[in-house]
This record gives sequence, structure tokens and C-alpha cells, in this order.
Amino acid sequence: MIEPFTAPFMARALTELALLALICGPISVFVFARRLSFVSDALTHTIFPGVVIGFLAGGLEGLFAGALVAGIVTAVVLTLLTRGGRVSDDAATAVVLTAMFSIGVAMVSRRSSYTSDLTSFLFGRLLTVSPRQIAETAALVVIVLIALVAGARALLFRTFDPGGAAAAGFRVGWLDLWLNILVALVVVAAVRAVGTILVVALLIVPAAAARMVTDRLVVMAAVGTVLILGAGYGGLLLSWTASIHYGVSLTSASSVVLLLVAAYCLLIPVRLIRDRRRRTVTVPRQRSSVHELVG
Amino acid sequence: MTPALTYSAVSVGYQGTPVLTHVDLELAPGQTVALVGPNGAGKSTLIKSILGLVPVLAGAATVLGDHPAAARGRAGYVPQTDTLDADFPVSVRQVVMMGRYRRIGWWRPAGKDDRRAVSEALDRVGLAGRAGHRFGTLSGGQRQRVLLARAIASEPRLLLLDEPFNGVDAVSQDAIVRVLRDLTGSGTALVISTHDLQVARDLADLVCLINGRQWAAGPPAATLTEQNLRRTYGGSTISLADGRMVLVEP
Amino acid sequence: MNWWDDALHRATAEVILVGALAGLIGVQVVLRRLSFFTMALTHATFPGVVAASIIGVNILVGGAVAGAAVALGVAALTRRRGQDAAAATGVVLSAGFALGAALVATQSGFSRDLSSFLVGSVLTVTVQDLVTTLVALVVVGLVLSVSARPLLLVGFDRAGARAAGLSTGAWDLVLLLTIEVVVVTLVPAAGTILALSLIVAPAAAARLWTDRLPVMSVLAVVFAVGSGLAGLWASGRFDIAAGAGISLTATAVLLLSWLLTRLRPAVSPGAAGRTEVAPA
Repeated sequence: MIEPFTAPFMARALTELALLALICGPISVFVFARRLSFVSDALTHTIFPGVVIGFLAGGLEGLFAGALVAGIVTAVVLTLLTRGGRVSDDAATAVVLTAMFSIGVAMVSRRSSYTSDLTSFLFGRLLTVSPRQIAETAALVVIVLIALVAGARALLFRTFDPGGAAAAGFRVGWLDLWLNILVALVVVAAVRAVGTILVVALLIVPAAAARMVTDRLVVMAAVGTVLILGAGYGGLLLSWTASIHYGVSLTSASSVVLLLVAAYCLLIPVRLIRDRRRRTVTVPRQRSSVHELVG
Repeated sequence: MTPALTYSAVSVGYQGTPVLTHVDLELAPGQTVALVGPNGAGKSTLIKSILGLVPVLAGAATVLGDHPAAARGRAGYVPQTDTLDADFPVSVRQVVMMGRYRRIGWWRPAGKDDRRAVSEALDRVGLAGRAGHRFGTLSGGQRQRVLLARAIASEPRLLLLDEPFNGVDAVSQDAIVRVLRDLTGSGTALVISTHDLQVARDLADLVCLINGRQWAAGPPAATLTEQNLRRTYGGSTISLADGRMVLVEP
Repeated sequence: MNWWDDALHRATAEVILVGALAGLIGVQVVLRRLSFFTMALTHATFPGVVAASIIGVNILVGGAVAGAAVALGVAALTRRRGQDAAAATGVVLSAGFALGAALVATQSGFSRDLSSFLVGSVLTVTVQDLVTTLVALVVVGLVLSVSARPLLLVGFDRAGARAAGLSTGAWDLVLLLTIEVVVVTLVPAAGTILALSLIVAPAAAARLWTDRLPVMSVLAVVFAVGSGLAGLWASGRFDIAAGAGISLTATAVLLLSWLLTRLRPAVSPGAAGRTEVAPA
């Protein structure tokens, strides 16, 4: 069970995933509570033009900077756009997502062959993570964790009761920007190694799965981190075993995501049992918004 | 004549868990009952049970002579305006026309009668001049009047109003009261949930004090007593001044 | 030579049909705030499409089956509790994407399929694709016009709709399945990103110009078809991917609408009232 990870590239992949687990657990709790699933999904797509411009300007070195700039720019844009106005939040998010991604596609499509660029953006190159990338990820992990801990109390207050937070003197707009930028940083840290498919899963699934077993936010974050570690280990092992022993090419990013989703599905019954037990006191809540069918 | 509503020893609630018990109520056509109680007392649940949307768990209930679920769609309903999307692109006239949907069906185009009924209903709530405006551009009180017009347009024999005076300006309140009196005059029975005792006293023939269960019911003067209110509102104290009652939260 | 033999002619026809389809459903998607659901649907139909092409069934069937499963799943989840809906949609999205990608990766030479899934290949549509889109357009148009009133009532006032005896859950499902039909039709031709873009941006732009639903539908279709044609032209002119060109044009239409409606003097309530047709 450990033997595959003696290969340096497997060990590096697992290290990268472990680093990401540290931040994605807590961040996904906020993504869950603030219902930022769509925003996270948008951010994974919107950094694409940044990646392309960065690559064209500075090669592999520029890629990271380009992604960072694009991520922060879209975090700002999304924060501004989702503050009221007649274009509803989700429509604005969808438009930013498609527009930014299309800019990236338009740029790469001017080159003769762009499909492999796009593919590596989707899947990442988890098995070719370099020590330098791990160092960059580690630096971002530290920054994100510090920013998260520093802002945790205010962010929680704002999540739970925006009106109360504003009345207590917190600047809700800045807090929203803060959280969106943190999500963007996570995306930037992760996307090159693990690809968009895995990043969006890491941001959404852990807390949603953890929510099935606990109501407490801190526990949710911890359970989320553990789930990512487990799925990361299991997914790498699975894709290794599949390709070495069975000759099936199973992308590691996909298998990590599918294991995470499997954990979510397996935990659904736990939630149902817990709900049943509490049913004597709970009353079905009315939907908070009239027609918000989905998030 | 069939009573608009009979509830005897009724419990209502979700998934087998009662939210409100011991409801005894009989409402004749043209009568008004006010459901009075604190927030979370079960007023909305009771209204939903009359609409057939929350099951009756025990006791016997009829709505317009039928089982509530069978009478579903026949009682008019005025929801609280703040549950509606103010940004939705519907005109005032379209909203009122929704009251006619049950008559004209879902597909047939609206006829002359329907359009006349819509204009008349808007006239009665004093908003004939606003027919073309978007619903969301109106004030809270005006929105409430539009929803009332929608209920009028459906010509119900039983009309349920959920907190119709919440956040309503004085002009709108007068207009609504006037229309409600007209409706009872023409034989429509009204169920109004409110936490305003003055409204209950002025408008209702019957008052039903509820909080988790029905604590008292009957004509306003006999029902809105200090003792009954204290029982309904729990620890709140009540002082009487000039014959008026003031509820003081503990 | 037959007019349909020219790839650009076929692409032009497809773009017009796709625009009309996207514009029509877009009004519902924007008003009911279902953009994220639409996005999830585009990704979740992916494994169905791939699986169908692996076992050799029509890919539309595969996509439709997967999409219907997702629509039913989301409807069931949102019935249980609203709080988890966004997260559940996100899980469905990640799962669909990962599953589809994993399936694709088991086949050789997969990167081309994947990128065409994302950005589409409107320039390679066949006459059969055109017929499929046309059929979908007719079906969706019929469903939307027949269920206009229930959808309006359910969208605007759920409590009132239930009180009027409508089954809000059933009508939600009708809407979700209709969106699914559109997505399944659009994605193979247009790709996920373009499908989402053409559904949301023109309808959002139309919403800025008018408060009247029928006008909004017409405007959304006009904007979507217009963006499609202009984007197609730009794609040839500037040598960029057609899907990206169309989606960027649609975004430009929205931006322009936003600017123009902002610059336009605030519409007074009286003026809005006068545009109304007098009651008969």
C-alpha cells in the first residue's frame, strides 16, 4: 500500500494533495456555507486566460503569475457583480465564467494545435509536479491559512448574519472580497498540478460530504481535510494500480474526484438517519428564496 | 348553508409531528375570523392546512363542505408580499390575471369577462392606474393590494390572508379594510392571520388565539381578555389602559 | 452544388437554430436563477455522451439519459432541503466532469474529444445535427408556450401556485427537463461553455431592456441569434475558435445593454405604464 509512493513522482503528487487538503478542508466549509459553489467553479475557469497570457509572455515561469493576476481580477469582478443589480448573481457569474474562458480559448485557438493545452488545463499534471511547484503551493497554503485564521471570526459572522455583521461595523463587501480572493488563491495554487476538474471538486465536495456527519463548522473542516487526504491517497493508488496491473489508463485527477464523490454518496444515508432522529423538533423550512431552485 | 370552514379538535403538522393542536373553529359565509398569536405560533401552518397543503393529523376538518385536500384550489389565498420576487418581470395586470387562471384553464386565452374581472378588481383596490406597471416597482402596501385584487378576481367563497397588514401604509390599510368589508358583505368568508389585536377587534367576528394550540376562540370582546392573552403569549405581561390592551414582552 | 454542402452554410443555419433554442430557454434560466444548474447539466451529460459513443449508441440518447437522471436528482435534492442544493449541484457537476473525463481517458487520442466537448465544433455540424436541433427547437417551443402560465405562476409565487392547486414540484421538473433537452442538443454542437453562454447572456441582456416577458423572450432570441452570426463571422475574420467568438459576442451584447440601459434616463413609472396596451 505504501510501495507505489516510493516512486518520487508519486510521493510528490501525494505531498501536493496533502498540502491542498490543509486549505481545501476549511475553505470548502465557507464555500458550502456561503453557497459559493458556482463562484468557485467560475474561478477555476476564469484563470484560464491568465494562464495563457502568462505562458505566452514568460513561459512556464509566467504561468503562475498570470493565473494569480487573473484569479484576483475575477475575484474582484465577481464580488462587485454579485452585489445586487438587475442581472441576478448567478447569471452574472455564468457570464464572467464563459467570457473569461472564451478569451483564453480564443487566444490558444490562434495557435495551430491547442487541444493538448486545454487538456492539461483540465486534468493538470499531477504526476509531473516538480519540487518547485510544491514549494509554490506550500507558500500559498501558508498565506491562505493565515488569512483564513485572521478573518475566520468576521467571515463566520458575515456568513451567519450579514445584516448583523454590517450593523456590528464589519464591511461585508470587503469580507466577501476577502473570501473570494482566498478561493482564487486556492484555485491558483492547485490548478496547475491537479487541473480544473479536481480543483472544483476539492472546493465543493469535502464540506458537502462532511456536512452529512456533523453540524459543527470546525469538525466539518477537519472531516473535509481528512476526506481529501483519504481520497488523494486512494485515488493515486487506484490510478497506479489500474495502469500498472491492469493496463487501464485512469487519470489520477479523475479517480481522486470520483472517490471524493463516492464518499459523499456513502455519507448521504448517515445524514438521512440523523435527520430522522431529529424529526421530532424540526419543521421543513420554507425555501428562503421564492424561485431559487438551485443554490 | 354550508359553513365555509369547520374544524373540530383538529391537529395539524408535518410528518406526523403536530405543530398546532386543539383547533375548534366554525366559520359561516360572510364571517371573518382573525388568527392571533405570536410569531411561530402556527398561524401560517393553520392557513396552509385550510389550503390542503399541510395534513390534518387528528380531528375533523371541512373546507367549503369538503375535505381540505379536496377543496384545494377553491379557497383564495393572499400570501405575504415579501415571499415574492420583486424583480420578476410581471405587470400588475398579469398578477391579477393569475387569479383567473383556474377559470380560464392553463392554455385558453383570456376572454373579455376575465379582462373585465381583472380591471374591476384593480378598481376596487384603487390601483386601476397602475395596471401596466411592473409588480416590483410598487410599494409594499400597493403590492398587498394587488395580491388582494388577484384574490378578488378569482371570486372565492373563502379567502385566506397571511398577515395582510404587515408593512402596509395607512392609505393601503384603509383600502384593504374597505375591500375586505365589501367581500364579507357579499358572503365571502375571511381568515386573517395577524399579530395586531386592534385589527382583530375591528375586523373580525371571531378571534382565535393560538400558540402551539388553540387557547381561546369566540367573539373579540369575550376572547381578547387579559387572562386569555397571557395564556397565549406566555410570560408577557399585559397592562390595561383606557380599555386598550398592551402586550409587553418580558 | 447543394447549398447545404458548404460547411459554413450549415454552421450558419445551426447557429440560427441554436440561438433561438438558447434564447427561448434562457429566459426561464435567468428568471429562475438556474445558471448553475445549467452549468452542472452541461458537465453531467458528458459521461452519458462518452459512454454512448463507447458502446456505440446515439450520443444524444446517452446525454439525454444522463441529463434526465441529473434533473431528477437535483429536483429530488432540492425538495428535501434548499440549503444543500448549491452544494449538491456542485457535487453533480464535479462527478459528471470527472466521470466523463475518466471515460474519455480510457480511449486513445482523447484530448481532441475533450476540447471539442468544452468549446464545441460548430463548423463541423452535419445536416442530421441541423434536423435534431430543429426538432428540439419545435419541442421546446411547444412545451414553453403550452406551460407558460403554470411556469409563470410557479416562478413568481410558489405559495400562491400551491394554493391554486398546482403541483410546484411537477412543474419544476417540467422546466428542468426542458432545460435538459436544450443542453443535450446544444452541447455536442456548441460545447459546454458556449451553451451556457448562449443560454444566459442574451436572456440577461434582454432582461435589462424590458419588464415584459414576451418582449424579453423575443429580445433574448434576437440577441442569441445575432451573437451567433456575428461570432461566426468574427471567428472567420480573426481566426479564433467559433465557440469562443460567439460567446464573447454574447458577452459584448450584455455589456453594451448594461451600459446603454444605465445611460438611458431612468424610466418613469408613468412612461412604463404608457407602453402597456389598453385593456380590451
